Amino acid sequence: MQHPDEGTIHSWLDGALSADETVRLEAHVKECPQCAAAVAEARGFIAGASRILTALDNAPRGVVPVAAPKKRVDPLVWRVAATVLVVAAGTLVVARNRGSNEQPADRVMVSRQQASVATRVPAAGGPAAVAVDQAMPKAVVGNAPTIALSGKTGASDSRFGIPARENNALEKRAMMPAGQAAAASEIAGAAAPTASTFAPSHVAGVVVTDSASEPEPLKLVGTPRRIGAKVTLYEVAPGDTVTLTESVPLALGKVVVTSTSSASIARQGTGKSAAAPSNAQADAAAITSAAASQRAGGAPASAPAVSAPAPKSLLAMANTLHTIMWTDAATGNALTLTGRMPEARLQEIKIRIERERAAAAAKKTP
Amino acid sequence: MADVDRLFRTYNAALVRYLTRRLGDRDWAEEVAQETFVRALRQTSIQNERAWLFAVATNLVRDEARKDMRRRKHLALLAEEERDEIVEPEETTLERAQEATMARKAVDGLAERDRLALLMREEGLDYNEIAEALQLSPGSVGTTLSRARRRLVESYEALQKSQEEREKNAAS
Repeated sequence: MQHPDEGTIHSWLDGALSADETVRLEAHVKECPQCAAAVAEARGFIAGASRILTALDNAPRGVVPVAAPKKRVDPLVWRVAATVLVVAAGTLVVARNRGSNEQPADRVMVSRQQASVATRVPAAGGPAAVAVDQAMPKAVVGNAPTIALSGKTGASDSRFGIPARENNALEKRAMMPAGQAAAASEIAGAAAPTASTFAPSHVAGVVVTDSASEPEPLKLVGTPRRIGAKVTLYEVAPGDTVTLTESVPLALGKVVVTSTSSASIARQGTGKSAAAPSNAQADAAAITSAAASQRAGGAPASAPAVSAPAPKSLLAMANTLHTIMWTDAATGNALTLTGRMPEARLQEIKIRIERERAAAAAKKTP
Repeated sequence: MADVDRLFRTYNAALVRYLTRRLGDRDWAEEVAQETFVRALRQTSIQNERAWLFAVATNLVRDEARKDMRRRKHLALLAEEERDEIVEPEETTLERAQEATMARKAVDGLAERDRLALLMREEGLDYNEIAEALQLSPGSVGTTLSRARRRLVESYEALQKSQEEREKNAAS
């Protein structure tokens, strides 16, 4: 028989060999001094190991083993890494939103006007596309990612470092009742406004008077776009708005598509006729309306969530609407002022508007 | 499984000793042993009881070791505090503590498979059971054990030697 290896000797000493193997090995070890020494050594190891292991039995309670089975990255490292990642991602998102805010600016306004469809009055409209900018004291709400009308709280807004002033402006806008007059969006044309409700990260061009100058200046709450007319929304009292429509001669050569939303929803919306706005629009209006009423904390939210095809409600509302018309001495444009208040009150507002327009014009051309 | 009482009486002592040697913490060892028997309760049948119990206990230690790093760190702190507080009579205790420390170091220096095989063998598991519990071939258990024993003893003796030298240096 060959010399058995160490493993076999241990197997033998542990009684793990078969009867045949045991007989053979015993015979060999008797005759082989070298293997006898190996067996003796193995016995020593077995006894020694056993004794060493017994020393472990005095392990106290509640003590930690010396060896950690596996080295792991400290949880703190993960936490730091996660924080860095979150901050980086957040920065990227904000940066991208800012970048995309360079787009023209009618989006939120249009959403709002859908929410406030109830008192919409078809304004007298000559064909012309002009942006309304009366250079009134105003605060432009721009670059306010993910805030407008999406129902997010102020707290979440502040995470993005949006200045309080912008938040204010948004709040004011949200306070507007659903019943305010708004220009028709039926002919919003290529402006494709509804997308903004679904992607409310583009808030721009909302004009709000912020400064409290002498006797409560008219608050300009929006300039919805309308071809052939400049439309301006004024808030004359909390929850009370009037619509000023100024018809402007149209120069077709100057029609510019200023908002080309890529959202397919928007395309659907504009693809349909004015009389039958798409479901997408209606949905958008509904969402916007809900968000607005949420913020307004119980402001009337009875506005139907559709625009043009609501003849009944429009007729009903028309009973309470009054309109006065006059011609602007400076420009010769026909001006229409519509609101839910009596004509006498509209006349007062008309005077205030004229005063403010004159002041603005004076400022513009020093 | 109604048999769990018998299982417990038969194997608990060996299992706890095995786990204590493996973990160096008797409380933890008892916890793992109990969990092992709880797992046994859920089994409809166990072929080789001892191999099964030791295998499950070994896996539990492995899993728990991964999960419980924090808990063990905390325990380490507590144990350290306790050690600071307790003033033990010297000599024998010191000697035993040194022995235990060296034994722990020597055991921890072994490869995991060698260590587990050795600890299981010390609890009386035969080669087939060890092979089953550690998923080894039965033929390799003898080699594994001989290697583990030799390394353990040699490593322990080396530690002992360096300890004696330190003491000698400190005395002179």
